[in-house]
Amino acid sequence: MWEKMSYEEILECAVDPYPSIREWKKRTGKRVLGTTFADVPEEVIWAFDILPTTIMGTTKPLKKAQALLPDNACSLARSNLELVLSYETDLFDGFVLPQVCDTTQHLSDIWRLNVKGKYFESYLAPRQTDRESAKYWVRKEIERLIDSLSAFTGKRIDESDLKRSVDLHNENKRLLKEIYDFKRNNPSSLSNRVFFSLVKLSQQVAKDELNETIRRVKESLKDGTKDGYIDVILAGITCEPMEIYDLFDEIKLNVVADNLLIGSRYLAGEVDPGEDLLDRLAARHFKRGFFSPIHGNVFGEFEELRRLYRENGAKAIIYIHIEFCESQEYDLPDLKKMMKREGIPMHVVETEYQTTSLSHLRTRLQAFFESIKGT
Amino acid sequence: MSEKPKKELTKSQILSKKITDEYLDEAFRAKEEGRIVCYTTAISPVEILVAHDIIPIYPENHSVANLAAKKGAQMCSYVEGMGYSSHLCAYARCDLAYRATGFTVTRGIPEPDMFLACNAQCFTLTKWFQVLSRRGGGLPLFVFDTPQYIRDGKAREEIIKYCVLQLKELIALIETVTKRKFDYDRLREVIKYSREASLLYRKFLDMAAHIPSPISIFDALIGMAITVYRRGTPQCVEYYRTLCEETQEKVDKGIGVLPKEKEKFRLYWENLPIWFKFSDHAKLLGSYGGVILTSLYVHAWSFEFDLDKDPLYTLSENYVSRFSNVTLEDRVDMALDLFKRYSLNGMLMFMNRSCKAVSFAVPTLKEILTKKTGIPALVFESDMGDQRFYSEAQIRTRIEAYFETLERLGLARKAA
Ligand code: SF4
Ligand code: SF4
Repeated sequence: MWEKMSYEEILECAVDPYPSIREWKKRTGKRVLGTTFADVPEEVIWAFDILPTTIMGTTKPLKKAQALLPDNACSLARSNLELVLSYETDLFDGFVLPQVCDTTQHLSDIWRLNVKGKYFESYLAPRQTDRESAKYWVRKEIERLIDSLSAFTGKRIDESDLKRSVDLHNENKRLLKEIYDFKRNNPSSLSNRVFFSLVKLSQQVAKDELNETIRRVKESLKDGTKDGYIDVILAGITCEPMEIYDLFDEIKLNVVADNLLIGSRYLAGEVDPGEDLLDRLAARHFKRGFFSPIHGNVFGEFEELRRLYRENGAKAIIYIHIEFCESQEYDLPDLKKMMKREGIPMHVVETEYQTTSLSHLRTRLQAFFESIKGT
Repeated sequence: MSEKPKKELTKSQILSKKITDEYLDEAFRAKEEGRIVCYTTAISPVEILVAHDIIPIYPENHSVANLAAKKGAQMCSYVEGMGYSSHLCAYARCDLAYRATGFTVTRGIPEPDMFLACNAQCFTLTKWFQVLSRRGGGLPLFVFDTPQYIRDGKAREEIIKYCVLQLKELIALIETVTKRKFDYDRLREVIKYSREASLLYRKFLDMAAHIPSPISIFDALIGMAITVYRRGTPQCVEYYRTLCEETQEKVDKGIGVLPKEKEKFRLYWENLPIWFKFSDHAKLLGSYGGVILTSLYVHAWSFEFDLDKDPLYTLSENYVSRFSNVTLEDRVDMALDLFKRYSLNGMLMFMNRSCKAVSFAVPTLKEILTKKTGIPALVFESDMGDQRFYSEAQIRTRIEAYFETLERLGLARKAA
């Protein structure tokens, strides 16, 4: 199913992967656990023969979520809740949920109390990361997740189950990175939309199958050109709706690097080889950029983006702001100032799962890139 | 024109003013005396700072003063011009406006040397302190990370261990910053004061269980200030002893906020107060025979430190288990306990746009509480500090309709 997807199917599936996940579930008789962004170690869930699916919102209309989360909650949180309450009520066997911001502080409780009869576990990743205690805690939380999943499934996993899972996930990230390297220099051969759809799907569907498609995509790539393309860096958490990538493709923007969760922050999560897999999974937590925006070290983000901008010879940074994301909003004014001082053009794109106006976005993006050409 | 005669201040009010003045004098002298000023969250293990002679400053409290003086809309719109959006916490917006303009209705607060943010309260404070830390060129910010105190005994033990480890790291940090060794005996002494003050504070809050209640939530909110910023000191203990004596005197004399025969609605309040409507609300509700008696918010500072336990352990246990950091099921239990003990017969559930951390749980909380108590709730949305999100007419009409409903359902207390 996911192993032989055409480009069209990839795009379609990345917008709405749930029908295919339902089919997979029926075919394999296995379980599906939903998670939301937050460093939940997917390898652990997969090692239990369960599909970990990161729930990434929906652009479908909100019906029930409005009564449970007010309109100043970000649309990612609201539409995730809608998805499990209205659209995919029976798909998930349970959820592993984190707390990464004020919006998500009680979200796992709200889900648990409104979605009955499912497995629920909190994944309490540390919200401080520069001290020894954080390392201790990540390992403890991974162990607790394993115990919880053992109780849920009645099954114990050993080092070899975990290793198989880690290898599969590592391979997925390696393949995606190879394609990213290619795309960077050959944007005419692989669109932003297809590439980021593959990264998104990698966090949602079974990788033993998807890796086949990624491999086929990789093998089919033919050298292209960079002529007429503008290299840009993409920053933020996630870039939705996916049609935004079509806009980038349409005005020939080539995303050459990013710090997105559905992007490089995910790809950087390969688990290093060595003894004691749990320790290595814990170490991975600190190796990649954190999923949780609570760590928003703006100095660090600025330096990272500046490095990507310079190393890649990019022309601008596009920052994707999810409306009502307070974590981003405390960081943005200073980040903008730092970029301005450094003379790095940065364009902030406002997004919302239900209401983003693509024509408005197109006009603003075009105007921004016109102004850059003029400088 | 004759001047309104000034109401004589009570002993506790005089004491409160004295403690506050001394505290601020001390804080403003800190720099000259080479002492460290640490900004911290209202819920944070401040005992560690107090024990190490570091001055804790609470930017939230400073913002409250400006918001209560109705400066919210003005200050908040200023920071919007700086790029901060209108739906961020009004405390943070108000503070950032103060930083940018120097405007405040108080004498202000001294500049920070470091920050301690405890996320049992919210994540906003961490983000807000990050802004201030950058403004100071990268001042140290210690995040005391308190994972949600989930309902699982084994997980709780681990959470406490993690918190204890972090408190040791905090102590190591302040030892480095001050170049002085931390004194655990002094910490024990500070926790002893905190414990005593907390128990008295709780006793004061619990006097609202009397019929008629001698205090309303508005008294509780005023009475709360000293424990928020002076816990761990003997002055704080003295203040609550005095406050308890005064309130007990009212109980003994049968003096209520409303006379017994008029006290029809004993209300629960969810969330922080609407600071700029503080006294107006008391009057409005009173005119209908309503008095708000309590909320989980004011109880957030009734700690139960156990002096027989390791000091870092009992600090961790207490700070991690605040209402804002437990599961909603636990929060419901905490609220139900108040309903029972205080004989409550109504609830006002405030959806505070400023405080996502507390407010986003309100619709779910309301569902459960109404189901479990059989008491309908009035849910309304506004902002604790930004008047632009407040509609007087709407709130009046809804309060009126709510009391009518309670009457109709036979939930109002009968005159004695
Ligand atoms: S971090 Fe931002 S986008 Fe993510 S859930 Fe919180 S508010 Fe929403
Ligand atoms: S009002 Fe809420 S968001 Fe603001 S500082 Fe207090 S707890 Fe945090």
